[in-house]
Amino acid sequence: MTKDLAAGRVAVLEDIWKSYGAVPVLRGVSLALGAGEVHALLGGNGAGKSSLMKIIAGIIPANSGRIEINGQFLTHASPALAQELGLYLVPQEAHILPNQSVLENICLGLRASPRALRPRVRTLVQELSVAIDLDAQAATLEIAERQIVEILRGLVRDARVLILDEPTSALTPFETRALFDRVRKLQMQGVGIFFISHKLREIREICSTISVLRDGIIVLSGSLDDYNDGEIVKAMSHVQTSAEGEKTSILAKVAQIGQPRLSVRGLSGEGFRDISLEVRAGEILGLAGVVGAGRTEFAETLFGLRKQFAGSVHLDGVELSQRSPRLCIDKGLVYLPEDRQQNGLFLEAPLFWNVSSYLIHRLPFFLRSSQERLSFDGFRNSMGIKCTSAGQAARGLSGGNQQKVLMAKCLSARPKVLILDEPTRGVDVAARNDIYALIRTLAADGVAIVLISSDFDEIEQLADRVQVMAFGQHGGALVDDISVDAIAKLAFGASEANHA
Amino acid sequence: MLDLFARNRVATLLVILVVAYAAIGAAAPGYLSGATASTVLASSLVLMLISLGTMVVIVTRNIDVSSGSVLGLSAAVLGLSLNAGVGLPLAVALCMLTGVAAGAFNGLMVAYLGIPSIVATLGTLGLYRGIMLVMTGGRWIEDLPQDLKALAGNLGLGFSVLTVVVVAIIGGLWLFLRRTRFGRFFYAVGDNRAAAHHLGVPVRRVQFSAFVATGACAALASIVYSAQIGFIPNQAGNGVELKAIAVNVLGGVSLLGGTGSVAGVVAAVIFITSIDSALVFLKIPAYWNDFIAGALLLSVLLLDGRIRQVIDHRIRARRYAVHDRTPVVEGRDQTSKALEAGL
Repeated sequence: MTKDLAAGRVAVLEDIWKSYGAVPVLRGVSLALGAGEVHALLGGNGAGKSSLMKIIAGIIPANSGRIEINGQFLTHASPALAQELGLYLVPQEAHILPNQSVLENICLGLRASPRALRPRVRTLVQELSVAIDLDAQAATLEIAERQIVEILRGLVRDARVLILDEPTSALTPFETRALFDRVRKLQMQGVGIFFISHKLREIREICSTISVLRDGIIVLSGSLDDYNDGEIVKAMSHVQTSAEGEKTSILAKVAQIGQPRLSVRGLSGEGFRDISLEVRAGEILGLAGVVGAGRTEFAETLFGLRKQFAGSVHLDGVELSQRSPRLCIDKGLVYLPEDRQQNGLFLEAPLFWNVSSYLIHRLPFFLRSSQERLSFDGFRNSMGIKCTSAGQAARGLSGGNQQKVLMAKCLSARPKVLILDEPTRGVDVAARNDIYALIRTLAADGVAIVLISSDFDEIEQLADRVQVMAFGQHGGALVDDISVDAIAKLAFGASEANHA
Repeated sequence: MLDLFARNRVATLLVILVVAYAAIGAAAPGYLSGATASTVLASSLVLMLISLGTMVVIVTRNIDVSSGSVLGLSAAVLGLSLNAGVGLPLAVALCMLTGVAAGAFNGLMVAYLGIPSIVATLGTLGLYRGIMLVMTGGRWIEDLPQDLKALAGNLGLGFSVLTVVVVAIIGGLWLFLRRTRFGRFFYAVGDNRAAAHHLGVPVRRVQFSAFVATGACAALASIVYSAQIGFIPNQAGNGVELKAIAVNVLGGVSLLGGTGSVAGVVAAVIFITSIDSALVFLKIPAYWNDFIAGALLLSVLLLDGRIRQVIDHRIRARRYAVHDRTPVVEGRDQTSKALEAGL
């Protein structure tokens, strides 16, 4: 047993350096994690968090530095070795084998057979109180369910060190709570946890210590109680954006809310029924609800991606009956999809292709890439997209910047109505504030915005009016007293009131 | 019923095969006989070995188009060493070694040097055939010794030593892919490479092993080939790799990796070979073979695609039906439970 393990430290990182080519990502990072410690790790997009965690988990090698897990050195970069030493990384984007069953997905890589592990996995599922069919094919799982598979993988491995990379970004509030209960239990059993999140409220709830990474070095580290939210956000980025954000918000509210732009009456489709709403120019309508409430299905039906069963949609008073995405874009109804990796971006294509892709049918037969680049550069400057050039592949960008590129793509169509589905999922605080400011500016310019979000804080901050969906139906509306609690009450259906 | 066919390509193939056999049997009495069965079995062996080898690579989401050339190269090594007076066991060992080495070179390029498998094996497709032609001077290898040809001799019931070996390989491969931990890794790597790596699966070793297995299968196929026809033409095995890929697709192996079963491939090989033999029996000119085989392949795949669409549609309808029936009541149950437990 080494000195570190005796001191109750389950993971120790010493002087980790990493660079990709000439670009340094980590510049001498040292961190220690104690048994039973939940350690928050924060940092902006591109600060080096993901690289650091991948290095600890043996997925990528460091250039130099020492890693010790449970008193033993991680001698070479190997996920198998890291897991053997008792560490598991629950990644932000779940790694799923679509053709195998949920159970096989959870048990892959373990010595015991899935059949032998079934009872244990079932117990864990019950303790997490989630509903998941172990025999379903993994391809049929929703994003939230995929996340749960990853969490179960970590639990079934009896890891002594767990890394949770934004574990709640796809979970419902209830699932989040169950996860936190589980984390507390693990904490009591002496498991050390690195908890990566952008939600300060969550971090306050579950973490005891905090480290903030910026530009590859640790700029703040210590007990969470010693720092207030302002100090933490400031440490993450020099740019202080939140006060600015408030100001724009006031401006936006003052701006005139004009004519009804989009009006939907009695729309029914796959996964939702009888939804009506109206958005006016310059208005932000928050469409709240928990994961699985049918909001994405509603938006996709609106945009012509799914079949509609009943109801009507009017844009500026003109009915759009046979909708297709192209028709919607042409008429100025634009949708920003939820899963940017799968539905939104062309990951291998240059950024300017991504931005002009929405209007590809309006471009001349012989493409003039100089113009496309020019239009991209406009967005790049106005939105603060961080990239090396307009020709860079979208894959290389961080989550927040990818999201900005997607927004730019939507804006290139000059939308009258913009439907944003979870626009800030997996986006750091600084980029999130940029996106909020952008949404407000758009509204002030007279765009009607439908903001779909499971993050009720976000809705509270941005929306002029809230409509809630629950279990595929209209769950209620809020106009004046928009608060997280009021939204949560409606999102869970009327049952809470009945129950109380 | 539909579900059965969609999930089970073997069942689909068997049903079509039985119907086809019944039709041909009715049209040409005398076709359905033990003799036909043993002919089909014997003439399926080469394609069987190449297809099984190719399947292992396809399951890991790679492709190998060089196995026809590996067959030719290994056959040349076998024939040349036999004709140089080397004993049969040693010649067979040299032949197998050639196949394994050729597969290992493919595996090295794909798994460790990161060259896309289609590019790497297209290169070796030409390279290995070229080495074979240089070795033989472009001539056919004839006058192979009797003890090699004896391997294809009938032991009874239409079985030869070669058939027994191939059946053993089918059984062994099935056991390996279905029942062992390392076998499961092949599916995992093909299904989602990043996920497999993340979960500690030795991705490169798995990919490498798959190519080595394909090389070994091709070498074995070259022994069967030489024993059965008794000489080695300089184009031995030419084009068999594409037929093997078609067989894999027909047998339900996804070219996107991660799915496929030994049973499906075996059924597809028997299917394709049966058609060839039936055409001979029906005295349809041999130049029709490719046309008919191609048309049948497409029909099975189209039918299969339609069935899959119908089923996807049903699953989707079922999933959303929950909302249509009693959404609020169901939801309420869940939430009140949730509230009791958590909030």
